[in-house]
Amino acid sequence: MILLQLITDGLLLGAVYALFSSGLTLIWGMMNVINFAHGDFVMLAMYVAFFAFTLLKLGPAVFVPLAAIVLFGFGVLVYAGLVRYVMRGPMLAQIISTFGLALVMQYTALWVFSANFVSLPNTLVGGVYDVGGIRVSAARLLAGATALALTLGMHLLLTRTDLGSRMLAVSEDRVAAALVGIRPDPMQALAWGLGAASTGVAGALIALFFYVSPGVGDAFTLIAFVTVCLGGFGSVPGALLAGLAIGVIESLSAYWLGPAIKDIAVYGLFVAVLWVRPQGLLGRA
Amino acid sequence: MLLEARGIVKAFGAFHAVAGADLLLEESELIGLIGPNGAGKSTFFNCLSGDARPTAGTIRFRGTEVTALPPAAHARLGLARTFQVPIVFDTMTVRENVMVGAFLRHPHRRAAAAKADEVLAFTGLAEQANLPATALGTPGRKRLEIARALATEPVLLLLDEALAGLPSAEVEAAIDLVRRIHESGVTLIVVEHIMEVIHRLTRRVLVFHQGRVIAEGTPAEVTADPAVITAYLGRRAHK
Amino acid sequence: MRLSRAWPAALLLVLVASPFFSFNPFYQRVAALVALAAISASAWNVIGGYAGQVSFGHSVYFGVGAYAALLVFTKLGLPPIAGAPLGILASLAISVIAGLPTFRLHGHYFSMATFAIAALAELLIINWNFAGGAIGMMGPATARSPADLLFRSALPYYAIFLAVLAVLLWLTHRMQRSRMGFYLRAIGAGERAAQSLGVPIRRYKLYALLLSGAFTALAGSLYAVMIGFIDPDSGFGVLISVNMVVMAALGGAGTLFGPLVGAVILVPLSEASNAILGGGSSGAAYVAYGVIIMLIARFCPGGLAEWWRVLTRTRRRRAA
Repeated sequence: MILLQLITDGLLLGAVYALFSSGLTLIWGMMNVINFAHGDFVMLAMYVAFFAFTLLKLGPAVFVPLAAIVLFGFGVLVYAGLVRYVMRGPMLAQIISTFGLALVMQYTALWVFSANFVSLPNTLVGGVYDVGGIRVSAARLLAGATALALTLGMHLLLTRTDLGSRMLAVSEDRVAAALVGIRPDPMQALAWGLGAASTGVAGALIALFFYVSPGVGDAFTLIAFVTVCLGGFGSVPGALLAGLAIGVIESLSAYWLGPAIKDIAVYGLFVAVLWVRPQGLLGRA
Repeated sequence: MLLEARGIVKAFGAFHAVAGADLLLEESELIGLIGPNGAGKSTFFNCLSGDARPTAGTIRFRGTEVTALPPAAHARLGLARTFQVPIVFDTMTVRENVMVGAFLRHPHRRAAAAKADEVLAFTGLAEQANLPATALGTPGRKRLEIARALATEPVLLLLDEALAGLPSAEVEAAIDLVRRIHESGVTLIVVEHIMEVIHRLTRRVLVFHQGRVIAEGTPAEVTADPAVITAYLGRRAHK
Repeated sequence: MRLSRAWPAALLLVLVASPFFSFNPFYQRVAALVALAAISASAWNVIGGYAGQVSFGHSVYFGVGAYAALLVFTKLGLPPIAGAPLGILASLAISVIAGLPTFRLHGHYFSMATFAIAALAELLIINWNFAGGAIGMMGPATARSPADLLFRSALPYYAIFLAVLAVLLWLTHRMQRSRMGFYLRAIGAGERAAQSLGVPIRRYKLYALLLSGAFTALAGSLYAVMIGFIDPDSGFGVLISVNMVVMAALGGAGTLFGPLVGAVILVPLSEASNAILGGGSSGAAYVAYGVIIMLIARFCPGGLAEWWRVLTRTRRRRAA
């Protein structure tokens, strides 16, 4: 029974991981740039949710979409102001640029919000359901279900819509896409916007049951890396499966090995996978 | 026999880019490898140079089995190559680019620099020696790749579309360079899809189509071969 | 041409000698920290600059060196500097065990993996109670013998760090002119082409990492000797790696003096802002740091060395 409980907890958390990781994988797939500030995007969204509630008394039905909109704008801004120029430069510049962004975001948050841990009241989405002995909190259920739906939605957007096929065309071959009249620049800005927006939703959902602090992003950056790497770089369905798997692994190792060890298990898995299968577990050889 | 490739297969999943190709090459030959785009020439080429490991088949170079050896080992044995899209070292000068190749046989800086200057003179790049490699245009970059490969003092040189995309004045100079390389005793395999270049350079041509060698002979023979004509025309007709 | 080389050399000499003629302890301390940062940034430069393998995992080497120094003190009662050779040995082992498999990854993937390895190492150290766990370890409080290298003034540390830096820069200079230097730069500029010219890529990357890791570990030991305290964050924190990368990138990665120039600019900046804004708790210093990183990436990706090159080239052309 405890095993089923742990797996359920893991899957619900994993769905949220999948959502913000699919944001990272979308950006990576479009332009082969890794966002080292990705976890800090999650952090930003968590603060948006926190302040929307505490200052404006807005509920999740409002602050989740609000976080998506704010982060969409932020993602486009980062692309237009930084990534667009850095992409054509040397590798070192590409890699350090988002690292610099991560520092700015983290320490601005520290400066403005202070190092205190804050959290939303856990009665905001209250209640616990009991399904055949498995206890599921309403907040986590809401977060998991929304995240799962949106991840699938993003997959459908990319594979079933005209916009999605335009974006894929740019990711396959910028030059060829430009030749058939698809301008790569707006598509890549859109990828950053969508990637950041999905991260925004994920962050606002996590804020329902997780504390917020300026340094909370580091762990999420690494989790996104692990997820994207396990799922295959650029693959949304891969990120979904991998995100769920990591949620379960974390939940099981936290129970059996202790909470301090759970991150060690996840990062260790990441390093091991990179060494053994550099293209990712589900990636093509 | 200098190079002996038998039954080479290279599969990507279910797709066979090279589907059982053979190539026998004698010392001091100059042969052409042609075929329509996507015929598998470049993949075959990568197998020969060690950049890709064949799914099946064996390759022997100067009597050594090299099928599974990395590209660096090929270079040490005397096999050099250029790339379809030139990869020059952008952070270095033209001379430094060539010195990287020269260091293979000349571990000391002075000797490597001397070798590089010799090759730069031979390839007509002496005047640009101190320029950053980024200052070169496409013809210059292609020439630099050849110079760099020659600096490794190869026995066999593989040229992957070294002439494609050059303006016609440059093509003449490049044909002249390839001839002089051949006269200096280097064996060459030239991949091209410009028929005219092949006509003028080589006496033996292999035609690639759908991962196989479908014809072999003098340029005149293969261009008269009905199988070759349908391979080229059939493709065009489908477009 | 002569002038453009003589001026920076003279300026450098004056800068290097100035702490010995200054009686300002703050200035001397900053000078020592600059020299120390220049050691680790120059060490990073061998693999990250010349060979183009952008490592965010060098904090592991630094931490191993620092912990080795204070472990031999707290557990064996030896002078901390005795841990330096052990730290270097451990760094060599890490290069072979963790570095070799990581070299299968390229570009961004390599950076991601090294970042993760560093995060993993920090977590392991936090949970390693033998080495002080999350609290860390202290060095000797008072000098038991001269070998403890405890000085009230920062000047002796400055002299020691300067000597190590000189050795490292001399080695780098030799390497830069040799086959190894050319091979590393070729690897950084295009692995596939380098390979086709007979460069044994993995072997040369490993050589570079061994050299780079050993000097970073030594820098860690020296840090622990001077500061006399180490904890997971100051030994293995991500910012340790970031500092090395940014100093090299600012001055010019893959150039001999680039990392030193970066250290000369950034260390006084962060020390001054800490002194003015009151410690790292405010975070303002790191915001500025992040902004600097983004500005480098956006406007001078080749670092200040690139600007210098352009400047001297135009002057040379004017002279000709």
